[in-house]
Amino acid sequence: MAEQAFAGEHIVGPAEAPDDVLRVEHVAKRFGPITAIRDINLHLRKGEVLALLGDNGAGKSTMIKILSGFHKPDTGTMWLKGEPYLPKSVDDARAHGIDTVFQDLALVDQLSVYHNLFLRRERVHRPIPFLSNRLMKREARKALDEIGINIPSLDVPVARLSGGQRQAIAVARTVSGDADIILLDEPLAAMGAKEGAMILDLIARLKAEGNVSIVMILHNYVHVFAACDRVSLIQDGVIVLDKPTSETSVDELTEIVVEEYRRARLAERSGNGAGAAGASSAAPANPTSPDTAE
Amino acid sequence: MAVTSGAETRPAPGGPAPRRAPAAGGALSIAKKLLTLREGSIIVVTLVTFVYFAITTSNFVTANSFKSLLPYFAPLAIIAAGEVFVMILGEIDLSVGAVYLFTPFMWHVFHHAGLPLYPSIIIALLIAMLIGVVNGIFVAYVGIASFVATLGMLFLLDGLSLVISHSTPVQVPGTKIGAVNNFAQIFGGGTYSELFWAIGIVIVLQLVLSFSRWGIYTVSVGGNRLGAAEAGIRTRQILVRNFVLAALLSGFVGILEVVRTTSATPDPSGSNTILLEVVAAAIIGGTLMTGGDGTIVGALIGALFLGMLTEGLTIKGVSASYLDLYLGIAILIAMTLNVIVRRVRVGSGRG
Ligand SMILES: Nc1ncnc2c1ncn2[C@@H]1O[C@H](COP(=O)(O)OP(=O)(O)O)[C@@H](O)[C@H]1O
Ligand SMILES: [Mg+2]
Repeated sequence: MAEQAFAGEHIVGPAEAPDDVLRVEHVAKRFGPITAIRDINLHLRKGEVLALLGDNGAGKSTMIKILSGFHKPDTGTMWLKGEPYLPKSVDDARAHGIDTVFQDLALVDQLSVYHNLFLRRERVHRPIPFLSNRLMKREARKALDEIGINIPSLDVPVARLSGGQRQAIAVARTVSGDADIILLDEPLAAMGAKEGAMILDLIARLKAEGNVSIVMILHNYVHVFAACDRVSLIQDGVIVLDKPTSETSVDELTEIVVEEYRRARLAERSGNGAGAAGASSAAPANPTSPDTAE
Repeated sequence: MAVTSGAETRPAPGGPAPRRAPAAGGALSIAKKLLTLREGSIIVVTLVTFVYFAITTSNFVTANSFKSLLPYFAPLAIIAAGEVFVMILGEIDLSVGAVYLFTPFMWHVFHHAGLPLYPSIIIALLIAMLIGVVNGIFVAYVGIASFVATLGMLFLLDGLSLVISHSTPVQVPGTKIGAVNNFAQIFGGGTYSELFWAIGIVIVLQLVLSFSRWGIYTVSVGGNRLGAAEAGIRTRQILVRNFVLAALLSGFVGILEVVRTTSATPDPSGSNTILLEVVAAAIIGGTLMTGGDGTIVGALIGALFLGMLTEGLTIKGVSASYLDLYLGIAILIAMTLNVIVRRVRVGSGRG
């Protein structure tokens, strides 16, 4: 198994299921000289929670940002509910029912909690489109209560809140919209155990309701096995494993990562790069720390 | 002296007030409320300045002194409103003075070419907006720092103004020396015309900033440009739009001012002084150079403060060469107070 994890050696080809809502085939994306993702094949079944795993710099956030309409893919095709899917913008993706919690949360420190919660979905009066702050505050309170996160005042700028509270607001913003495909890029990174459990409960509840399908980038295997139906693992911009969580184990996933480090160290010693794309996987990074993409 | 007495009086409500509040009475709690406003410190500073001049001079609180204050402060307040929209983005528009200078000449040129009064004004203002579009494109799409892009625009327009006017003043359409008609009455010639424009524009734009999508998108682009884009805000469009607003208001004030004075003088050094005063009014009023926060009303009060200071010092008979010196000191004190108050407001360790 470990040998198969070599990038380029064992690339998971396009896979599909009859009830897929989202399918990604051979998607690649470069930023100038850096190849962020080389060849990604993914699929997401209706009502499923898919874990997207991989080392820092593997290309997870880039894949999420392509799905969310923030980046355009260089090559490859995507399908949404059977239709070709190529979002023109974040708004366009949202109009297609795809909404995202970005790794950096996309919150504006200076704005209040409720303005952040409704950023780009503001409630306004008519006919003069001034903001309906009262309505937004009321709905914001409801959305946050639903998650169970405690934010004392909705009027304070989010700069004053803790990392976990900010993350909860970003999650609440996405979940309270009417998206039926939700992408979460490390939604638990800044959270303590208690807040993390709240978000996992929320995911479980959404899953039980069966209306949304979820892709989640996680680093903690406990969370993966607690919350997800299937895992896709990215290494150096390609998918090297795609399995239901019931058919894999912490040991198998760990083994792949350990093998990647071993390979990286070997490559470093022999003076080579770590592979075709692995600019960042050559660096011994801490796999549990949140990385900054931009 | 204006400066010292101001400095002595101000720290009482400014500094320790929030901490002492529980023990103190109503006045202090009002002061505390006031200081939680962005505009708080400049309101206090302006009041103190007013009281100082009212007490130490006999003719500061007169209709005449107020009237002579208006042409100084109203144009600044209007241009500063646009500049605040740009500064909240974390950008700066250095070409506002140049647009202010240039637009009246465009008006003159098109009127001279045979266009009626209002159409030629509208075309001149459209050209001002086009300048804003160009500024915005350089900043948002080409990726040039706004300081540099608008500095280039400043020189370009100053030069163009000199070329077009052959470096000589021109008589302004629709005005006659010594006679104020209806048109001039409304567009800058009437005693209170500029004041009404300033108050109207400031109110509308403050409402837009605080209570509209455009306003919170402006704060978003200035506060977290990447995050704003991720949330789906068209950050470049907001950038261009705000540069257009700044240019339009500058051009409009240019027209008001030449109607008031009945002639347009190609004087780049005067318009560049206006640029500096505009930026000073915005910052004194509580707008951050770093973006993400700002207030239109604050900028108006900032302009009022600058106007009052100039007027007051002149009435006191301060000689011209000392005027700038005192102005500079007063601005530094007002700014320092801003920073202190902001620290108290936002919480210590920040600001
Ligand atoms: N906007 C960008 N410009 C340049 N390089 C980028 C950009 N976004 C990501 N990258 C690079 O692409 C690679 C993959 O990044 P990312 O998708 O953020 O990885 P992950 O989320 O898996 O940690 C990294 O080498 C990163 O530096
Ligand atoms: Mg990432």
